Amino acid sequence: MAEFVASVYQNEFLPEGGTDVNAIVTIRCSGAGAAGRTGSGNAGEIIAVDTSGSMGLANMEAAKQAAMIALDNILDGTYFAVVAGNHKAYLAYPMVQTGAGMVPMDARTRAEAKRAISFFRAEGGTAMGTWLNLCKALFDSIGNLANKHVILLTDGENHNETIEQLDQALANCAGHFQVDARGVGVDWKVAEIRKIAQTMLGTVDIIGNPAQLGAVFAELMRNSMARGVANAELRVWIPQGAQVLFIRQVSPTVEDLTHRGSPVNQLTMSYPTGSWADEERDYHVSIRLPAKTVGQEQLAARVQLAVGTDLLTQGLVKAKWSADTNLTAQINPEVAHYTGQAELAQMIQEGLAAKEAGDLDAATSKLGRAVQLATDTGNTEATAKLRKVVDIADARTGTVRLRQAVDKADVMALDTASTKTTRIRG
Amino acid sequence: MTDPAAESPRCPTCGAPVLAHASFCEACGQPLVPTVPPPTAEPSDGSQQTRRLGVRNSQLATCPSCGGTIDADGYCQTCGAKAPSAADHYAESPSAWVGGVCDRGRQHARNEDAMALWADDSRAVLVVCDGVSTSADSDVAARVAATTAREVLVAAVTGGTPLAGAFVEAAAAANAQVVATTAPDSTNAASATLAAAVVADGRVHYANLGDSRVYVIGEDAGQLLSVDDSLAQAFIEQGMTRAEAESLPRAHAITKWLGRDSTEIVPRVGEQDFTGPGWVVVCSDGLWNYASSPEELAAQLRDAAADDDPTAVAERLVAWANARGGKDNITVALARVGTTAPKPHSLGDTVPASGEEPPEHG
Repeated sequence: MAEFVASVYQNEFLPEGGTDVNAIVTIRCSGAGAAGRTGSGNAGEIIAVDTSGSMGLANMEAAKQAAMIALDNILDGTYFAVVAGNHKAYLAYPMVQTGAGMVPMDARTRAEAKRAISFFRAEGGTAMGTWLNLCKALFDSIGNLANKHVILLTDGENHNETIEQLDQALANCAGHFQVDARGVGVDWKVAEIRKIAQTMLGTVDIIGNPAQLGAVFAELMRNSMARGVANAELRVWIPQGAQVLFIRQVSPTVEDLTHRGSPVNQLTMSYPTGSWADEERDYHVSIRLPAKTVGQEQLAARVQLAVGTDLLTQGLVKAKWSADTNLTAQINPEVAHYTGQAELAQMIQEGLAAKEAGDLDAATSKLGRAVQLATDTGNTEATAKLRKVVDIADARTGTVRLRQAVDKADVMALDTASTKTTRIRG
Repeated sequence: MTDPAAESPRCPTCGAPVLAHASFCEACGQPLVPTVPPPTAEPSDGSQQTRRLGVRNSQLATCPSCGGTIDADGYCQTCGAKAPSAADHYAESPSAWVGGVCDRGRQHARNEDAMALWADDSRAVLVVCDGVSTSADSDVAARVAATTAREVLVAAVTGGTPLAGAFVEAAAAANAQVVATTAPDSTNAASATLAAAVVADGRVHYANLGDSRVYVIGEDAGQLLSVDDSLAQAFIEQGMTRAEAESLPRAHAITKWLGRDSTEIVPRVGEQDFTGPGWVVVCSDGLWNYASSPEELAAQLRDAAADDDPTAVAERLVAWANARGGKDNITVALARVGTTAPKPHSLGDTVPASGEEPPEHG
């Protein structure tokens, strides 16, 4: 059985009249086991590959190879299916019209699926909402799956659907399975694919060179197979009369969870976290309380990890009012670090959006601030990626100039990586 | 019981009206957090007394702030208030003439004072330690220091060992226990003061390290027996008045203490005849902050000594210090000597009024 341990990093001391409590809660999972092997239910994997006309011969061949490599990394016994997507969604494997739309992996089904993939041809448009809806129908056809995961590959914009249609599909699918989304080439929209990945509790990235596709798919599938804990929830209890300012995952990536909660009872909200491997995730919890008198202590939040009805760990976020300014003036280093990292993600995304909209002043100032934050918080990956988009005159003051000739793939790589954070321990 | 029913809460899952004390929604079965304590099973007689007992008998730890249930993690499940800890306020009453109270005060988050008392019919040991709040684990340090010092002193007073030496031994033993509470590599070693009095055979034997104090308070006058190891005391010795010195910003900085980083753990000891009627007072600065001079303390004791029960008197002094702000942890240990009521007007046995008389050195 997997073990979870919560640790809380905060300055619990509030000055007289202080109301806002900030804490970083780290949750570490160990002994997660393999997906589908922990007795909590079978795992299900779907590989959804873009087969629109824009894929062309080279990308289509690379995608076929990658999909086959992904099949090789699915553990035997795992339910799986392969979806080919263009302006419609097709169940490429198993080849059934009704009944169960997924089959357990074994040597025979793996070989049959590879053969089905080999027939993929690039033609037609792109409607990712239909792909997602088909994935949900396939998972539903099996019924009792615990881990449900999709690798989605695309190369272009969602031309054959309205924004509303995609949003509707996301609303239909959210909470039912996870999606790791990857874009190949530079003709897809980062914001569009990021929305899919964030809603579906997965990751987003660019694959600049189609030759890397196989390695990326293999890694995604291995990571998914290592997530032995399915459907874990972050539960946050706050006292009566208190208010959640925000709940944010801050590591390994920044994800705002504030409005993704559903009530467990009057005082407790539950936020989906998907499945877990042996890993650590950090959450920034910000709570507003009615001020109490100096010397009083109270709980500001109970932050719990739950699977089903089992509470597996709990971290206590506290508030102690004190007249000692030496205590109350300190800012916890973890809170400061992740506050900076969250602003970094926002500055990169807003700066790139301003650049695309032609507002070069705003782009320069926001990307300059991003450079400053990346430097301050030691995020060397972000600094390296920013360097390909701006010339840095002075990193510490955030003085930058937009570069004239910029590779579009570098801009997209900066955008997709904007939410990745570095960790510290004070 | 009548149900107010004015604003019935609703289930967050299905929206059905639910009782405020319900743990589960009757409509959909989803768990709820009760916002009021459950009614007692005492419908016929709704008097305060039976209701209060009913809650207590149900063995639920009830939050004193909102009436919710205290969770196993020590905080209320409804309002988050911290459940009062046993260490926040406790009293000891080893004998009808000896008692004391140790209290968190109003402004500190935990009680880092400690008290350990012992008494038989004619002899008493009073020990007060004040954990230094800037150091880690000082609450634990104060607790072990007080109990260790008491053990040594009780052994001495019952075994007939000379007390001046016993105080030195008690301080050394207490120090060893304090040191044991701190990791050797700690940069912020646990530390505590020590003040102790042994009352026996018409005499008060006393010792201190740091700024916890020993007073004797007679009918109309009192005397501060201990001498603080503090910056304020150093200024007093240079000629500053007590009131002026004790109002300096660093007045409370102590110059001697128990702990791993202490260089001097031999207490200042002394003894004095005292047959009363009156009180031996051992206290932490949480009390004397509000009544430092023996005259002020004597005045407060007169107000508080409505009866002869030393623990009740200590409770009143603690309540008074809390009413004055309770800026620090408050400990008051009392031994009633002689008879205090009815008050005789003979002053033959009262102690000198001067607080500055140098104590005897042992």
